[in-house]
Amino acid sequence: MSLHVENLIAQHFRKSVFKNLATYIITFFIGILLIYAVLSGWKNYINQNETSEKYQHESREDWLKNPDKNPHRMAHYGNFAFRKSTSLSVFEFGMEPFFGNAIFLEAHKQNTANFSEAGFSNSMLRFGEISTAMVLQILLPLLIFFLGFNSVAAERENGTLKLLLSQGISWKQLLLGKILGIASVIMMLFIPAILVLVFIWLLLQNFAVSFDETLKMILFIVFHFLYLLFFCAIAVLISASCKTSKKALVSLIGIWLVFTIILPRTTQAIGAYIYEAPSKIKFNSDIEKDILKQGDSHNPNDSHYKAIKDSLLAVHKVDSVQKLPFNYSGFIMTEGEKISSNIYNKHLKNLLQVYEKQNSFSRAVSFLNPYIAMKNLSMALSNTDYDSYIDFQKQAETYRYNMAQKMNALQIKYISNKKDKPTVIDKDHWAEVQEFHYEPKGVFTVLKNEIISVISLFLWIILLFILIRTASKKLKAI
Amino acid sequence: MLALIFKNFIRSKGTKVGLLFVFVIGFISLLIGQQFQQKQHKNITEAAVYQKEHIARNASFHKDEMGLLLYYVKFSLVNKTFPLNSLAIGQRDVNPSIQSVTIRGVEAQKYDSELNNPNNLLLGNLDFSFVLIYIFPLLIIAFTYNIVSEEKESGTWKIVASQSDNTFLYILKLFYIRILSLLALLTIILVVAVILLNIPFDSSLLTFYIISILYILFWFAVCFFIVSLQKNSNFNSVILLTVWLFLIIILPATINTYIVNKYPVPEALELTLKQRNAYHEKWDMDKKTTMDKFYSHYPQFKSYILPDTEFSWLWYYAMQQMGDDESAKQSQELQTKLKQRNEASQMIAQFIPTLHTQIQLNEIAKSDFENQLLFIQKTTAFHEKTRLYFYPKIFDNAPVAKENWSKFRVETFEDNSETSLSKSFLPLVFINLAFIALGWMNFKKEKQII
Repeated sequence: MSLHVENLIAQHFRKSVFKNLATYIITFFIGILLIYAVLSGWKNYINQNETSEKYQHESREDWLKNPDKNPHRMAHYGNFAFRKSTSLSVFEFGMEPFFGNAIFLEAHKQNTANFSEAGFSNSMLRFGEISTAMVLQILLPLLIFFLGFNSVAAERENGTLKLLLSQGISWKQLLLGKILGIASVIMMLFIPAILVLVFIWLLLQNFAVSFDETLKMILFIVFHFLYLLFFCAIAVLISASCKTSKKALVSLIGIWLVFTIILPRTTQAIGAYIYEAPSKIKFNSDIEKDILKQGDSHNPNDSHYKAIKDSLLAVHKVDSVQKLPFNYSGFIMTEGEKISSNIYNKHLKNLLQVYEKQNSFSRAVSFLNPYIAMKNLSMALSNTDYDSYIDFQKQAETYRYNMAQKMNALQIKYISNKKDKPTVIDKDHWAEVQEFHYEPKGVFTVLKNEIISVISLFLWIILLFILIRTASKKLKAI
Repeated sequence: MLALIFKNFIRSKGTKVGLLFVFVIGFISLLIGQQFQQKQHKNITEAAVYQKEHIARNASFHKDEMGLLLYYVKFSLVNKTFPLNSLAIGQRDVNPSIQSVTIRGVEAQKYDSELNNPNNLLLGNLDFSFVLIYIFPLLIIAFTYNIVSEEKESGTWKIVASQSDNTFLYILKLFYIRILSLLALLTIILVVAVILLNIPFDSSLLTFYIISILYILFWFAVCFFIVSLQKNSNFNSVILLTVWLFLIIILPATINTYIVNKYPVPEALELTLKQRNAYHEKWDMDKKTTMDKFYSHYPQFKSYILPDTEFSWLWYYAMQQMGDDESAKQSQELQTKLKQRNEASQMIAQFIPTLHTQIQLNEIAKSDFENQLLFIQKTTAFHEKTRLYFYPKIFDNAPVAKENWSKFRVETFEDNSETSLSKSFLPLVFINLAFIALGWMNFKKEKQII
């Protein structure tokens, strides 16, 4: 199949676009914004990671520097989990400003992730941030609409449409040609931008990129490319189906507003309205109550712990806990930690289910709104989405639990039950607890989690092909 | 004449749909505000119940040791939510409105965050301030972008011009009708809000209303200026939408990114590490050093001598106190940095009406960052007060049962800081006047509007 006619139409369209001074102004301007977005993303990424690495390292040093002491003191001394960003987050900030950056990990207690950017900002932050992804996902579609609203409508208005069609050009050729035309203009912005992005991305990682990261970057580019093509097609289809260019413009602006501003906020608001999440104070109080129901290790008369004590005494055939061959309080704390963390995880699971339900609305709406599908996908690829954050918190909690239990195990093994023996152990044991290391999700997990977004983007593309087909048959020249 | 213009305006299907749409979305925003209000209210009532239960439970477990009891017991301070808050939720969803603290080191507790679904935070609340700041301008643009240009394009302008001796006055009337309609819409939504959310009639509500009016007038002023350029409808709509895009998305986002990069807050992490070490290292240090520092901070407790035991609560709380005392510098630095951040963004916001309106509405509703900073300060003071009350009781090991625990109710902090009217209104007034003047000059320059 030769696309000669389509190419001609596209060339013609490109020429007419570049005759317009406004095109240069807007393109120049978006270029500047892109540069600003990349630079600030870069700076933010470096700031964030340097800070997080610096304090992760410092806190580790502090941990190791502790002298000989009781392991339980160390469990309270605790560790930190600092969040690190992935390289793609230079371009897509996602929910990062709302993520806590540090969690203090200690025995008995699950602390909140604190010090988010949002907690340190005023409501200005709520207007959003300038990131490369924001320019690609929100501003470029609008630029496409501005370029394309009169692609067919103007020809109809000044009568050239009839001429074109009577010269044997089919509607399909015309539509495809115009789409190609807009796409080629947008690519003049998109391709250089992507080249710069890839270069910076490589630079940030000293040109040593992993397979996983590369795949994520490729997907990031490919999906944005498809997403933009998609808007080119919408622009032309709407332009072709409207009587006047003014009507086309108003419709396109309406579509853009609904897709990027109104629908995302409204659907999430509906989700949050219907599924109410508990407050922190309720969440914590419920956990406290459940733990007390299971057994309170602080209460000497608690039946759960009394039963453990009695059975221990019976098995080891001794009459007091002081005579046990291992540290009794270490044993009880191990049990307590297990119970409390099970209960915490159960409650957390319920809470996360509420959040999932809240999010399910906007996920479902991605079938109606390609912007949400694209946004979810790009946040997931750059590890700045909801799942990544929950994943970070879970990894931190697992680390916390293991650290606390490790300290309890040391206590059971090395600390005597008798008060007159030393209650400290050698500081060399501290290194036995590994440093916290956060592992971002791999690309395949990301794709699996975001399967809805991927499917909906493909469905949208199929829909557009169908629309172009039907439009070519049904459209009229007048 | 005015009546006819009004009829003509209101008869159009687009007008009705637009007004209805904004009314409906405004009403939805009020429902969301109402839910927010109920949730806040519920949390606070629950907090009171939990605190009572929590203290009673712990007091019965640890009846013999005041020091151990206070290791566990948490006291809550509430940041009062005013009814107006439901109209501009601001940062109240990010930041906790209730802080619960034990009398141990405060620095490790006061920045504890609220439980949140980050997706909700990212996409933001659909509160009234969103409807006012984002949606109203769109309606204003839709109602005004084709004034004059539409009639010129359809050829009816010449008829209008020939029938009216003052076309400028006619244009003013067209604007007048639209301004009145939108202000009426705003007033209706706010009246419904007052009823639905039990908002008291006070100066805050009035200020809120005036800022909303000024903000709506700002967009009319912008549209008036663009119409005065007398270009075609397509040009007007593209330019107005671009202005909207700039003021609502691009400029705020750019400035925000600038502020975030200009004032990073590594102090927060510095503080956390410092406070952890300052407390924990005391376990391995000479007790006397710790106690000397403690006595010099609180000379009134000098009479409590450290008992000759391996562990004592006096020593324990002195160590906890050192966590706070020795990280005071970092804490101060963090507060200063956060204030700088806030001041810088407020300063820049004065020149950008959308940002200014958002920040001012939040300030009036006590849901801005300043309120949060104040709340953190009050939490610290609340903590200090509680700590000082219990210190002597712990050091004496006063009997737990003797204490009247029921008097420790949840306390409330009421932010009564006044909003400066000139700071709120003047930036909007000046910008409005500037656009109106520019538009006026454009119209006057071309004596005949044809």
